[in-house]
Amino acid sequence: MSLIPFAGPWTRSEAAHLLRRTIFGPTHQQITAIANMTMTDAVNQLLTVGSLNPPLAYDAGETVVAQGQTWVSSLYPSNPVSNQLCETARVKSLTGWLMQNMNYQSMDISQKMFFFWHNHFGAAFSSDARATYTYLELLRTSSLGNVKQLVKDVTLDPAMLLFLNGNTNSVQHPNENYARELLELFTIGKGDQIAAGDYSNYTELDVASGAKILSGYLVQGIRSSTLPAAQTLFLNPLHDTSTKTLSYHFGNATVANAGAQEYANYIDIIFQQPQVATFICTELYRFFVNFDLTNDVETNIIPQLAQTLIANNYDILPVLQELFTSQHFYDVAIRGSIIRSPLETVFSMLNSTETQINVNLATDYNIYLNIYYAAANMGLDFMNPASVAGWEAYYLSPAFSRLWINSTTIKFRFDIATGLFIFGIPINGYTLKVDTIPFLNNLSLPSSADAVIDDICELFIAKPVDAATHSDLVNILTNNLPTFEWTLQYNEYLNNPNNPAFVDPVRYRVQLVLDRVFKMPQYQMI
Amino acid sequence: MKRRQFIKNVALTSASLPFVSNGFGMQALSQKLFNFSTGAEDRVLVMIRLNGGNDGLNTVIPLDQYANLMMHRSEIIIPQNQILSVTPEVGFHPQLQGMKGLFDQGKLSVVQNVGYPEQNRSHFRSMDIWTSGSLDVSETRGWLGRYFDSYNPNYPAGYPNVTYPDPFAISMGSEVTATCQGIAANFSHAVSNPNNAVNLYQGGFVNDGSYYGEHVEFVGTIIEQTNSFGQVIHAAAQAGSSLSAMYDPTNNLATQLKYVAQMISGGLKTKVYVLSLGGFDTHDNQADATNLLAGTHRGLMKTVSDAIAAFQDDLQLLGLEQRVVGMTFSEFGRQIESNASLGTDHGDAAPLFLFGTCIQSGIIGPNPTIASSLPDQAGIAMQIDFRDVYASILRDWFQVPTNEVQQLFAHQVQFYSLAGTCNVSLEEQALTNGSMLVYPNPTPSSVHVKVNLAEGRAMGELRDAHGATVKTYFDQNFSSGVHTIFCDMDGLASGTYFLVIRNNEKTFLEQVVKMK
Repeated sequence: MSLIPFAGPWTRSEAAHLLRRTIFGPTHQQITAIANMTMTDAVNQLLTVGSLNPPLAYDAGETVVAQGQTWVSSLYPSNPVSNQLCETARVKSLTGWLMQNMNYQSMDISQKMFFFWHNHFGAAFSSDARATYTYLELLRTSSLGNVKQLVKDVTLDPAMLLFLNGNTNSVQHPNENYARELLELFTIGKGDQIAAGDYSNYTELDVASGAKILSGYLVQGIRSSTLPAAQTLFLNPLHDTSTKTLSYHFGNATVANAGAQEYANYIDIIFQQPQVATFICTELYRFFVNFDLTNDVETNIIPQLAQTLIANNYDILPVLQELFTSQHFYDVAIRGSIIRSPLETVFSMLNSTETQINVNLATDYNIYLNIYYAAANMGLDFMNPASVAGWEAYYLSPAFSRLWINSTTIKFRFDIATGLFIFGIPINGYTLKVDTIPFLNNLSLPSSADAVIDDICELFIAKPVDAATHSDLVNILTNNLPTFEWTLQYNEYLNNPNNPAFVDPVRYRVQLVLDRVFKMPQYQMI
Repeated sequence: MKRRQFIKNVALTSASLPFVSNGFGMQALSQKLFNFSTGAEDRVLVMIRLNGGNDGLNTVIPLDQYANLMMHRSEIIIPQNQILSVTPEVGFHPQLQGMKGLFDQGKLSVVQNVGYPEQNRSHFRSMDIWTSGSLDVSETRGWLGRYFDSYNPNYPAGYPNVTYPDPFAISMGSEVTATCQGIAANFSHAVSNPNNAVNLYQGGFVNDGSYYGEHVEFVGTIIEQTNSFGQVIHAAAQAGSSLSAMYDPTNNLATQLKYVAQMISGGLKTKVYVLSLGGFDTHDNQADATNLLAGTHRGLMKTVSDAIAAFQDDLQLLGLEQRVVGMTFSEFGRQIESNASLGTDHGDAAPLFLFGTCIQSGIIGPNPTIASSLPDQAGIAMQIDFRDVYASILRDWFQVPTNEVQQLFAHQVQFYSLAGTCNVSLEEQALTNGSMLVYPNPTPSSVHVKVNLAEGRAMGELRDAHGATVKTYFDQNFSSGVHTIFCDMDGLASGTYFLVIRNNEKTFLEQVVKMK
């Protein structure tokens, strides 16, 4: 099977699969909406990136802008103590905002593609929240754009220069950190070591030459009380002006001194190697489809995606269009082949139950911070990737996404479900607990216990459940009574929508069902 | 001494039972397994991964190369008068005071210039090489995972069981360790805090053979193991103790080692513990511009040294020193020449540390040679292959036959004498002379008793200072040989007690002090 277009019937099953893979937890109505479109329209609808409002000040440490205003282009206090407190406040704001964006996602791929690139480049917090914000917005807004341009932009981004020491790489003392990762992780990828210092696609010479090519940059304005942003400067005296030679992997190309433009010339040379497209498309495949590169995938699917990427001069959109409209993507054999990341775990619990946090400014940010820490406890500390290669679940053979699950993290997965659906999580005097009544009312036939369980399984479980599991879940919903009792109970609630004696039992039964679903092995896959 | 597979250990002791003797579920196993006086079945390996590539040249400093080092890394070098001199030729980073103390007591050694041929300077590939113990890119299993696989081909199906109630390996924190990756599953169990009880919902599931079905089964198995291993780990942590006052609660590595000591002393039969400390990728600010003794590397050195010194102190107090050896490892050393960011870039070979009373103490291997003039990007040349270090540990510490060790590695293994040479004579002498060993002593909760019994009936009990029996532990038939028996002292007031074992006509007696 190669990458031929999907020609089967477009049903809720395909729509749910597409949404589970491209957004953080679809709702029942979103599956309905996508199922009612043509596949082409559905995929085009998903392949868009919107704009976002910036993060807002909410913490007392922010002393420059007013609460509720954004700080992303503001100065820092000059007093060192206030400066540090302000940075802490801004980091908390930024962190909460990242989680808020996933919770308020629009029905498009942008949050998933943003995360794809964040994992790809692997940068942690910079020392200036404004620079971190600018860097993350670069990734998000460029996430469906041109890969070559994105790599160029990231190369000169202040946060990346700080992260991989590009800001201290000079002709006098080259620092190889960025030059190595540019090749190994960001563009062409490392292959087998076929000779001393030769990694199939590049050599140690290319790392050393790359460091020279990329020398001469400085970052100024970090947490400045006079500059509204961190800025990248190019200083010729720090730049290595010699002619650099690359290895035979790049045709022994030479890179002449071109000052501030030299980095772009070098990246253009790297992107002339088709291996760059293969490397990026392999990563995309593993992120969106399956960890297992079967012979068919390696000989047909990835080469075809790579060819599309090259034919479009490294615009990524056509590649994703081709992938998400292919027969292979909808093959039942790859359904449920990815174990949920911590973000997919927790935001599915919230988003698919239509739970959006909206209490007040400070409480909302505090709740999102707690969600951030919940994901960190499950192994995904968003702003501190495990390494510059990103999280191991996306690249480490043979376990891949299974690395999200172990005896420590599975307990956190269960604990967050219990907290959100059974006990509630106290945060700043507010108890975060999912109200399952609106969720229930939006299902296809809330008065039917079987239909409720069918809808819930469709939302949360990648493949149809067996009859015994279905029956277990129905019994939890009905409290082991005949299913008509649920229908009576639900109708009584409809007739008494403000009477807790009728509302609470209905809400509770659905909470119990969801709590159980989130603790089933079957939930852990998308 | 007979050799055997260390993996074939059995639960001679178990924290969840008042005592277990070799009459318990072990009849099917070969009698020779129990004939060791200091058998490998009790031995533990603790591995500490220094993640990011530790700068070996600022950790273990070749004093005879200092002048040339000064030419290449003056911005970050440790001032000569600050170096802790451990031999005339070798010095330690000034923060390694605790480790120098261990070195002086013969409880720490340095293996110099460890690496592998054709060093790969990618963090990721190099760590894969270190954890797989193989240069072959197609090797996805860990070096310990391969060994565990060879005796447990069906793992994880059917584990834990009565023979293997405890995890093979424990990875401290929220990740399992790649060193223990097997074909079907990872043999390590992630533990963040053994004092937390675990009881997760365990549902039914069906593996339909698809990718999804395989994942479902994997997650289901993890849940089952989390519950069953969680119980034995929690019970061991409850039964075990930690006696050293040297652990710094703000030192996370020290806290994790404290948990390890607690689990070992509580009778957990896990063979391997893996811990990890990050931050060693010191491309910048390794030293401070105005103070060579400041910078990020300083804190890392202090963390490692303080943690290991506290752990070793604890093992001594717990009477467990002869059961545990440890080692550090890192994916590579760093380049000889410093960069302009007060840091160092990825290099090649580096020293690693072994610690414990049973390691070959001293400096193993010569100092690296630092030339006055270096090619660009020069690192330290490899002299000892890390795979040979692993292999030697397997042979010396776990007593794996050399032919089996060789089968685990693709290269021709060269063995070094690295471990197993601890002073066991006292213990062996004591056992053969007819006394018994009781540890830890004093104890806050429970003790292990090691005793050489003659075939036949034996009775064990605990008496108070007045001779009154306060606990009876066992009364049954034993095979001849050394037995390790767990004796619970929970619920007893602090004070002096006597442990009495009567075996045929012979009586063993040892004073035990209960604390707390």
